[in-house]
Amino acid sequence: MTQYFIRRLLESIPVLVGVSLLVFLLLHLIPGDPAVALLGERATPERIEEVRDQLGLNRPLYEQYFIWIGKALQGDFGETINGRIPVSKELRNRFPATIELAVTALIFAVVLGVPIGIISAIRRNSLIDTVSMFGALFGVSIPIFVLGLLLIFFVGVRLKLLPFIGRLDPDIELEKITGMYVVDSILTGNMKALKNALEHLVMPAFALSTIPLSIIARITRSAMLEVLNQDYIRTARAKGLRSYRVVMTHAFRNAMLPVITIIGLQLGALLSGAVLTETIFSWPGIGKWLFEAISRRDYPIIQATTLLIAVIYVAVNLGVDLLYALIDPRIRYSGAE
Amino acid sequence: MMLLDAVHEERILALLRRLGVLAVVLLVVVAALPGVSAQEGKTFIFGSEGNPVNLDPAVVTDGISFRVARQGCENLLEFEAGTTNPGPGLARSWEVSDDGLTWTLQLVEGATFHDGTPFNAEAVVWNFDRWRLTDHPQHFPEAVFEYYEAQFGGFDDASIITSVEATGEYEVTINLREPMGAFLNNLAMDMFAIASPAAVEAAGPAYGTPEVGYVCTGPYKFVEWVNDDHVTLELNENYWGEMPGNVSTIILRIIPDTAARLAALQAGEIDAYERPALEDIDVINATDGLRVELRPSFNTLYLAFNYRIKEFRDPLVRKAISLAMNRQEIVDAFYLEGTNVANTMNPPSIAIGFNGDVVTPYDPDQAKALLAEAGYPDGLSEVTVLGLDDSGNVTEEEVEKIPVRLYYMPVTRPYNPNPEAIGTAQVSYLQEIGIDAQLETIGDWAAYLDARANGELLGLYQLGWTGDNGDPDNFIGYFFTAADNPIPREGFYQNAEVAALLQRARVSTIVEERDAIYKQVEQMMADNADRVYIAHGPVPLAFRDTVVTYIASPTGSERFKEVVMK
Repeated sequence: MTQYFIRRLLESIPVLVGVSLLVFLLLHLIPGDPAVALLGERATPERIEEVRDQLGLNRPLYEQYFIWIGKALQGDFGETINGRIPVSKELRNRFPATIELAVTALIFAVVLGVPIGIISAIRRNSLIDTVSMFGALFGVSIPIFVLGLLLIFFVGVRLKLLPFIGRLDPDIELEKITGMYVVDSILTGNMKALKNALEHLVMPAFALSTIPLSIIARITRSAMLEVLNQDYIRTARAKGLRSYRVVMTHAFRNAMLPVITIIGLQLGALLSGAVLTETIFSWPGIGKWLFEAISRRDYPIIQATTLLIAVIYVAVNLGVDLLYALIDPRIRYSGAE
Repeated sequence: MMLLDAVHEERILALLRRLGVLAVVLLVVVAALPGVSAQEGKTFIFGSEGNPVNLDPAVVTDGISFRVARQGCENLLEFEAGTTNPGPGLARSWEVSDDGLTWTLQLVEGATFHDGTPFNAEAVVWNFDRWRLTDHPQHFPEAVFEYYEAQFGGFDDASIITSVEATGEYEVTINLREPMGAFLNNLAMDMFAIASPAAVEAAGPAYGTPEVGYVCTGPYKFVEWVNDDHVTLELNENYWGEMPGNVSTIILRIIPDTAARLAALQAGEIDAYERPALEDIDVINATDGLRVELRPSFNTLYLAFNYRIKEFRDPLVRKAISLAMNRQEIVDAFYLEGTNVANTMNPPSIAIGFNGDVVTPYDPDQAKALLAEAGYPDGLSEVTVLGLDDSGNVTEEEVEKIPVRLYYMPVTRPYNPNPEAIGTAQVSYLQEIGIDAQLETIGDWAAYLDARANGELLGLYQLGWTGDNGDPDNFIGYFFTAADNPIPREGFYQNAEVAALLQRARVSTIVEERDAIYKQVEQMMADNADRVYIAHGPVPLAFRDTVVTYIASPTGSERFKEVVMK
């Protein structure tokens, strides 16, 4: 198991180097100069050159890459071109916001999606199944900005039930420890902040959860259907085991592999930033930041964020593979060989 | 018992009378205090479309940063509310020498910076030196003092300002290398606000970042800036100036999505925001308790010619294109009611230099005739690209034939609310006179600006300009004062006569003379159709009825100390 883990860990290094190199090269190949983007309509050729010099953009590409990667390895991702804010500091502020939103959305998706999938499978072709699967199809199909704006309009504007801007009301004070406001308010015992942070979290997390929820529900259903037709399930039923035990212990445990894979992939996608959700709900995460940085050609932000996203994907995949090994001994043993 | 009661009654009445007098006296005293109305504690929440870049106005160029910094940082001169006229600010009066080279300004007394240090002539000198001298310890090499360079000709020896001296505790003398017509307007620009020297020295390059914010003399102190969330500013209890409004706390909530900003206004989470989407304007006006006001337009949308195209060097072709544009139809279809069609670079709201006599009619028949006169009776479907020599001058050499292209901007701006649709209309007008133009764009905004800066938009291209300081030198002067040299970013436009005239206006301090020169240049350029001007777009502002008074300014430089709330 340890060997398996170490092997997988080592395999991820070339992936990360490759991603960083690819992003770096692509960024410098696409048209649009950060200096011009910074100076806007008022750019003169002399100023552009001066700013390019200051930003080190006139050095050879390989030199720029090695300088960047050398500093990045020490945790220094440079400063943003716009505003000169240290990238690593800004990442520390924004990434917890993204984690908080992504994890809450995933909790919604798993807590609702898995039971819906199981019930749909055991009540196949029933009304519940039809309604659930239609709902899942709807959830995947509806554009997130439409759902987000509908939620804002009905829940936020009409009913005034929940706030829809940012993470906390500006007049609420909260000591930042982890940067995840729900966690921080619990750690500091600040119940007023906890209530406010949860209220802010509900709508964006729900909007963001609809797609993973639908996917998880559908995958759970099909995985369960496949397992429920196996001989050992028939045997278990024939032995007279209770239906709940058959479904949860015998069927679900064996149907979990594809479900875990999909949960892992969804977590990766959610953590890499939900640009639309973050934009509509003014959520200060990394997705929106990255999106804006691309339009401004703010290289340090783009490079650091994409590297972080690559790390997340690699880590989540690694985590999923390890979970496989825990759940399915066959994988563990073949991995150890 | 009755007697005792009567005595008590009299005493109580006497006490009440004294208390009444005391209350009246207190009211009078309190009312006489500066900024008393703001003590009522109104909070004004403004929906900001993005984050500030930095709150040190000297080193930024974006409107969002200026909007925040302006509330706490003040200039020697300030635009009078709702106008582009520079009036008193931290300088209460000024005079210029006969040769236009020396300005002497008398400063206000008794003002202090938010950190408690005094505002005086020394502080003003320190700020000018910081902007001007590249070896000044706080002229941080990593910062871009973009606007100083643009407005005052450059740094160090290149700067039009040669020295700034404290000639008294509250008197500053500024010496110029050459007279400067727009000098007072420049001083009123947001980026030339006076910061606390002690605060900038203490913070170093971190000055202006979320940790430090700004430290100036203005009515609101910096409290907090949480990126992508909000910026909070609070009343400066020691403010030296007048407070016409009643806002004591300003919160700028950062809401990037236009639809979310509208929802926030409807839900009462914000009191105002800038630039609602055009399709939302009717919704806002039809909603009880919400309204839209227009900021006077101070911008121009134009179609520029790239003069590397041989055919565009012919004034007849350019005039034909200008006459083919149905400006009124574009304005009616794509802009807010009240938008002006543009016939000149300078907009009508500019204080001097707007030439209202220049009118380019929509006349496709005459346009066709001009095109035929130029040698294209069957119209144009392709054009000729000319070569460039080593110095970047356009040569006679014909490099290649390309289709006629009209580039539209990949982003909307107040001067261009719907670039693609406006581009489609423009292409159809050209087709009407026989010019078979293709509508194109290049990548995103950064790529588009890059291509424009390098002269690579080979055809006609949309672009626009929003004025900074209310002076024509910052409008028509910005583009064409160097027109004796062909510059790629201006489509290789070259006209020594225009350049000479604009240079004369730039260095004159006689208002009447400048006004006449700018009007003359506008007429000359219209006669030659050097550029095709389309529209001056007003900027809409959306409000809740909690906001009673908000004085919109053409330059967008509204100070929230003027805001009166219910």
